[in-house]
Amino acid sequence: MTEATIALAGNPNTGKSTIFNILTGSSQHIGNWPGTTVERKEGTLKDNRVPISVVDLPGIYSLAAYSPEEAIARDFIVIARPALVVNVVDVANLERNLYLTVQLMETETPLIIVLNMMDVASERGLSIDTQTLSRHLGDLPVIPAVASRGQGLESLRQMLTALVASLPQSSNGLVRQLDPTGVCCRNPNPPSVVIPDIIHRPRVISAASPASPYQIQRQVELAFARTIVAQPTLISYDQAIEAEISRLRAVIEQVPALTTSCSARWLAIQLLQGDEATLAVVEKAEGGAGVRRILTGSLTRLEQFYDDDIDIIMADYRYSFVNQLVRSVISRRGQMMTLSDKIDRVVTHRYLGIPIFLTIMWVVFKVTTDLTAPFLDWIDRVISGPLTRWVIVSLGIAGLDGTWVESLFVEGIIAGVGGVLVFVPVLMSLYLALALLEDSGYMARAAFVMDRLMNLLGLQGKSFLPMIVGFGCTVPALYATRTLDNEKDRILTGLLVPFMSCGARLPVYILVASIFFPDHTGLVIFGLYLTGIVTALVLGLILKGTLFKGEEEVALLMELPPYHWPNLKTVWFYLWERTAAFIHNAWTIILATSIVIWLLMAMPSGGQITFADTELNESAFAAISRAIAPVFAPLGFGQWEASGALVTGLVAKEVVVSTLAQTYNVVEGEAAMESTMFHDDLTEIGASFVTATADTVKSIPLIIGIDLFDEENETTPSELKVPIRQSFEAASRGHGSLAALAFMVFILLYTPCMATIVAERQVLGRRWMWLSIIGQLALAWLAAWVVFQGGLLLGLG
Amino acid sequence: MRMLPNDVLPLTMVTPGQTVKLLDICAERKLRRRLTELGLTTGTELRVMQDQGGPVLIAIRDTRLALGRRMAQRILVDFRQEMPE
Repeated sequence: MTEATIALAGNPNTGKSTIFNILTGSSQHIGNWPGTTVERKEGTLKDNRVPISVVDLPGIYSLAAYSPEEAIARDFIVIARPALVVNVVDVANLERNLYLTVQLMETETPLIIVLNMMDVASERGLSIDTQTLSRHLGDLPVIPAVASRGQGLESLRQMLTALVASLPQSSNGLVRQLDPTGVCCRNPNPPSVVIPDIIHRPRVISAASPASPYQIQRQVELAFARTIVAQPTLISYDQAIEAEISRLRAVIEQVPALTTSCSARWLAIQLLQGDEATLAVVEKAEGGAGVRRILTGSLTRLEQFYDDDIDIIMADYRYSFVNQLVRSVISRRGQMMTLSDKIDRVVTHRYLGIPIFLTIMWVVFKVTTDLTAPFLDWIDRVISGPLTRWVIVSLGIAGLDGTWVESLFVEGIIAGVGGVLVFVPVLMSLYLALALLEDSGYMARAAFVMDRLMNLLGLQGKSFLPMIVGFGCTVPALYATRTLDNEKDRILTGLLVPFMSCGARLPVYILVASIFFPDHTGLVIFGLYLTGIVTALVLGLILKGTLFKGEEEVALLMELPPYHWPNLKTVWFYLWERTAAFIHNAWTIILATSIVIWLLMAMPSGGQITFADTELNESAFAAISRAIAPVFAPLGFGQWEASGALVTGLVAKEVVVSTLAQTYNVVEGEAAMESTMFHDDLTEIGASFVTATADTVKSIPLIIGIDLFDEENETTPSELKVPIRQSFEAASRGHGSLAALAFMVFILLYTPCMATIVAERQVLGRRWMWLSIIGQLALAWLAAWVVFQGGLLLGLG
Repeated sequence: MRMLPNDVLPLTMVTPGQTVKLLDICAERKLRRRLTELGLTTGTELRVMQDQGGPVLIAIRDTRLALGRRMAQRILVDFRQEMPE
């Protein structure tokens, strides 16, 4: 139970996340804002007696509520009413940042300003008078900081603690309510402490000499003593606008249901700016029905007067206020071309931009696949070796060896969960790469460079990265769509990403293609990858014209933040949070599926055989596969073994090959059960980890094409080839190659794995997850049907 | 006061490196407001940093902004270079 909630608000790229990470440490957790794909981060203030909850609001440029991010931030501030809003401001970009500050002040919420990036500002020859700035902003507390080096944040923490501690208890506070069906009350847990409309006005505290807790406490008390009931208007608009604001305000103030929750002036401003959601709330409130009539009158008068949209006029006013303010507090020593500008001349260059981008993507791709492969093997070996042995030994001690319990643990749980854990190194390395690209500022340049190309597909530049990542692994690719700043782009990209053929599908292609197309294996596999890409392109164009029709035209509008060295803390949190979130979300669903599949394989379909001692082809799994099989008959692979492999393939594509091996009764090399000592196992785990690390180092040169490994050729066991060929030939009545091709196309196009479904639920939400699953199944069936039947028609195979 | 028509150009016609003054944004209200709130207000000076047929990169109020080409075509600027300072 936390005492109070404070919110961090600010423009993107202001170091808000860095501040959030330092304030909350490891207490943070990430999720989504309900009903959206926008990431929600929350934590508690570190090392604090009074637990204070900190919410990191999405990075926004305005409170206009035109994007989901803006709507979330605005609703949280106005409806959930955090005890305090910390506005993080980039000093090196003061004008645009203060524009948001002005809007935040208009909501009349208690505000503190953190002036971040003081170092960047001084590098650029800017010096800022924080005292004057605070004075011009109605004596708001202003804390200068360099978040990347932790400077100024101790002052902030002390001030937050002092301010929250001095807040009146909830019993004295004004209980705020707003129509729950109103502007979109998305906050499921409104803060427990609610405070009256007061503005704290302690003096400026400089980062260089942090004030003692006593001083801060004193200042806070003074501030409360000076509580001002009627806050002086910070920014006054033109006379004509002010007159209409007063007029509307007078009407709104007569609606008690409205003024207990929001400032009447703020509501009036929102209405004049044409905010539909606010108008709906106002009209729904008891006694608010007359407001629209007054508003229409006001807007007509103003539009006649200005001959322009009022919200634009008001935005202009805010900017001119901010512009004058900035002129009075900032002094510049000369305009110069920044280092970032110089780098951008090369990186965004017409001919150099794309090669540079592709090189970086190639490195990312190689890192996530090659560099992590040894660790992947290591995890796999630890799980199937020592871990399995320990479980068996422990079960043996409990007298359960050789029973179905052992089978459940070893073949069900360990195999299933292990299959997910092997994703962890891939995910971590990918997140590392993404965090470095994002935090350094390169990601925005990549989007700039790729924009022209992606425009052709109805997407914008930023969507390219998830697509590329998808060739490695669909799961991190889906998470990478979170870097897109527009909901529609996120969903569309997320729906297309699974068609990029991931690494796990490759072994299936290799096995099947080498059996049926021994002379053209490479060509067939290349064709499959291409099919995936073409499918994504066509589908993208179709979705653009149907489901997403009428959506805002895709156009790049993006800030290119100055380059800077990635902050290790930020990168670490990015990596750690997201990996933890994946494991947290994945283990339940994967565990459940693993157990279900195991149960099906263990359960006999007939009566004579005992549970967990079932031959696979007499199991419930085989029975179900046989029941499904007719669905695939028109595609040429109606044998139950193939449909069984597709069923387990839903769990993970890695297991398709092993299921085929199991169902065709090919005995894989059973791991010999030698009895080992516990410490031997530990030594083995340690030693193999060292080997894995060494292999990773050795594979770094692979990125540029130097191979330090000895040739290792994995050959398909010939005993598997014959039964597979025979079974496909039989099921397709002599058109085995066509059926095999259709089978591979199906593998390419249907849901990649359980982990993908988990990621889709997290990133896209339940609705889009189901659409994606069903749509992909339908598409896979159709495409495979076209391949098989079309091939028959053309007399191929 | 409106400028002479021959001084008014869409942003995409400006040579990179040139500093121009923003005159008008010919777009629907929502986009106009977004751009205004990012600092593209009438009368503000901006410099075209990069324009090679794709998106346009501009410098405005200490910010570097990338604008999709079709968006940039709708931004009208006064390209007369007489700004003192």
